Amino acid sequence: MNKKLGIMEIEPLVRDRYIQDEFEIIGKRGLTRMCGIEKASGRAEYTRDVKLPGMVYCRILPSPYAHAKIKSMNTEKAEALPGVRAVLRYDDPELADKPLYGLETKFNAGHLASDGQAFYHGKEELAVTLEQWKQGAGRILDGVAWWEGHPVGAAVAADTPELAEEALGLIEIEWEELPLVLNPMDALKPGAPLAAPEINSKNNIIRKLKIEHGDVEKGFKEADKVIKFDARRRPYTVAEAEPISDVILWRGDNVEIWAHQQQAYDGKMLFALKMGLPLNKIKLHIPYQGSQFGGGGNPMMHHTHGVHIISGILSRRLGRPVKTFYDRRDTFYNLSQDADCYTSFRVGFKEDGTITAVKIDNICAKMGQYGIDHFEENTRIPNLALNYLEANINVAPAYWFRCEQNHNALCLSLVFEHVAAELGMDPTIVALKNDGVEGKDMEYLSKFKKEHGFPDRDSLGECIEVGKKAIDWDNKWHKPGTKVLPNGKLHGMGFTWTHEWDDTRGTACAGVLMHCDGTVDILSQKSDDGLNAMTTHCQIVAEEMGLKLADVNFRMFEDVGFQMMTPDGSCNLAVDAYVTRNAAREAKQKLLEYATTPIKLIDIEYPPVFPNNYPDDLDVKDSVVFLKSDPSINCPVAEVVKRATLNQGGTRAPLFTWSWHRQGRYGTERGRHRMCRQAYFAEVEVDPGTGGVEVKKIVNVNDVGLAISPETCEGQQYGGDYMGVGRALAEEVIYDPKTGVKLNGNLLDYKVWTMRDIDTTVNHLVETGMGYGAYGLNGIGECIATVVPGVIGAAIYNAIGEWVDDHPMTPDKVLKAISKAKRGGLR
Amino acid sequence: MAENNGGAKKVSLKINNQEYGIVVEPHWTLREVIHDKLGLTGTKEMCDHGACGSCTVIMNGRPILSCMTLAIECEGKVIETVEIVDIEKHPLVMAYANNHAMQCGYCTPGFVMTAKALLDRNPNPGEEDIKDALEGNICRCGTYPAHIGAILEASTKLEGGK
Repeated sequence: MNKKLGIMEIEPLVRDRYIQDEFEIIGKRGLTRMCGIEKASGRAEYTRDVKLPGMVYCRILPSPYAHAKIKSMNTEKAEALPGVRAVLRYDDPELADKPLYGLETKFNAGHLASDGQAFYHGKEELAVTLEQWKQGAGRILDGVAWWEGHPVGAAVAADTPELAEEALGLIEIEWEELPLVLNPMDALKPGAPLAAPEINSKNNIIRKLKIEHGDVEKGFKEADKVIKFDARRRPYTVAEAEPISDVILWRGDNVEIWAHQQQAYDGKMLFALKMGLPLNKIKLHIPYQGSQFGGGGNPMMHHTHGVHIISGILSRRLGRPVKTFYDRRDTFYNLSQDADCYTSFRVGFKEDGTITAVKIDNICAKMGQYGIDHFEENTRIPNLALNYLEANINVAPAYWFRCEQNHNALCLSLVFEHVAAELGMDPTIVALKNDGVEGKDMEYLSKFKKEHGFPDRDSLGECIEVGKKAIDWDNKWHKPGTKVLPNGKLHGMGFTWTHEWDDTRGTACAGVLMHCDGTVDILSQKSDDGLNAMTTHCQIVAEEMGLKLADVNFRMFEDVGFQMMTPDGSCNLAVDAYVTRNAAREAKQKLLEYATTPIKLIDIEYPPVFPNNYPDDLDVKDSVVFLKSDPSINCPVAEVVKRATLNQGGTRAPLFTWSWHRQGRYGTERGRHRMCRQAYFAEVEVDPGTGGVEVKKIVNVNDVGLAISPETCEGQQYGGDYMGVGRALAEEVIYDPKTGVKLNGNLLDYKVWTMRDIDTTVNHLVETGMGYGAYGLNGIGECIATVVPGVIGAAIYNAIGEWVDDHPMTPDKVLKAISKAKRGGLR
Repeated sequence: MAENNGGAKKVSLKINNQEYGIVVEPHWTLREVIHDKLGLTGTKEMCDHGACGSCTVIMNGRPILSCMTLAIECEGKVIETVEIVDIEKHPLVMAYANNHAMQCGYCTPGFVMTAKALLDRNPNPGEEDIKDALEGNICRCGTYPAHIGAILEASTKLEGGK
């Protein structure tokens, strides 16, 4: 073991150099999920459940108009309602210097590199500016509404939720309705209404940029064939399980926050900034989180963070805890919907499947995703061009919802599927033909792997082989539109692929504290979003320290000064796992020093458990310290640490270590090549009479580098399938085209996939060890739901012989495509 | 609506084998009473429209949606909330934890109560029985396949205990 554990080097381009040969607990199946008993028995507490003595309930007024200004507002009747304790108006002096954009902390850290989105492939000129963030995000509790349902005007705190709701209805407002625009294409037309003239009085453009690699025109000339096609991806939304709420209690000059937030520490930072408080006066509690999926992060923080400011001001006024809560409809309005995107493709390729050039023109509503990233990161295509434009419109903010790669993954899927279809080739062959990195081929990537300490494995080849076998691809895949089943349905097989998620930008820190009974607490705060971080990190610490898993616990709910990235068991694990791993190794070293070092108290010297040995003579297994040369000489960890930490006056000092890690500026810097791949296969049946699509089977094969908790990774696979198929076939936020009123802001009209909506999911993990995270791991949580729409689209094409490149692929669109296929001579 | 509208009424309920007498307003749902007034917070608010099953409780032996049930209409009812599975050490709890049949866990109590109602009337369900029982529950994390294994495991434990 390296004696200088505290300075274990972490090199951003190099594989973890400190991986042991064998694992006892990491990767082990059959472990009970540590949060499972609480969650299954209803004992897990969520922010929505928090109720404090004297608590009042706050509701914020939702705008009835998609674009309107408050001309005058009378809150007297609301204030006079018995039980109403406070009304906070948008024009109150307490809010005068607090436009609640919610994301300024990202621009308050010294340099832009602190923000994951600030740099794209290391290019400063592509950094998102604060003005752009503001325009895409919106504000909370202002005098102007930028979308229907926008929380504006006033917030009311009352003794009960019902009274707060009733008081909102008593607020009299004279509105000035303003012209609105609801579609990004309309928003770009000359003379279009301005969606947010308070920030951009010239036009509706949020961002406009170009990215170019090589020479696409040259690539098109080299091609045997050039195709063009268009696609649209309509907005879908988080529809998270737990409706938004927070609780804030102002205690004298200290404040406590109970937050439903994915990046809760950022919320604390903004609260401190806006309220003029030092961070050490604010104590943050993050109970269990009823799902997040990133939808409450980034620009959406104007809600999750802005709500804190409102609760905070009201709590300070009243001297009582304030719970601000959104109902189901509010939650639908005010969490991220993924951007409405119109994308045009031009693709050149050779007869053998080699793609020579891809040009993408992408227009997104609000803030979207470029669409070109995955071509850069995991293909050898040398000539790429992107024209990207974000247009502001009067709908709720759009941004990343599981995850920032949605459009990037779909664009890659569409291009590869269309090329394979044009050539009549097996799409797995086209994928393998173009696999590479940043325009370079696999030979280059192979050399890179060897030079940087990674195993040199063909990740895509392995994933495809496993997946083909699992779905019986070689026997079932067929030419498009050629297989009708005995039940009259059209049979389709689809394939798509991309690279792993290595969301490794960021920082994490954690402590490892061993109590005098030998049990360990991991000290760090993070949101539990369902990624099983609790078990995962306990596995790491137990593995590294030689402890029984039962002797390690991780209660991440309280503010302890350390934070980890969230989510976890997911991509952020590539960062987070380093800190628990390193702190645990250091703690073990300290434990063995305790076991061999006497304690001197002036005139008395207490001998250690192993008085005649050095730390290197010892090891730990199953929570027992033993002599390596003679394991029969041993002592329980509890006894070692109890002796060393001496009870004096009823107190003891724990064994304690901590670690922090900052990795990369952004997970996709150029030159930090992606090496792991994932392959997806789907089998569908399309009803030619209704256009309905039944998903019979999905096969996910993900190279996760290394799976610490295999069941957790598999949970992300099948869980992502349900969300991904929902996105492919049904999920869409629908607005009234004239008024901008959201028409399906509830779980009856917004279809979320349920148990019977997929027949079978088959999940395979490939572990090549080619991730940048600790132990060679990378992430999985964001991958599946992001990529699955592409494979469903491919399978539908294979079934009907015509593309439905308008997601979601609802039955009406599928029927139209079937009609088109028939006109084209199929069937 | 204000609370003092004159329609409040005392109802007697038996919840998790405990007797309760509580004055309820006519518009209060059973979910509000259980979660907000009695502090049995395992019964979750998710859709609030009878669409998701997260607020499922067992009333007189049948799983019902407590967000769609007025408390004032529940006089004399015998109710079980998810807390009963903890109190009674029902094998569903460990089976759910062992099978990772939850992610964020917010909807899990609703699934567990639906599953308990199934096992109460059919201690040895097949996979199709489980799908029939749970198809009305929404899990945004998509944990659906794991529930089948969990309920089958719990069923085995229940059968073994007899």
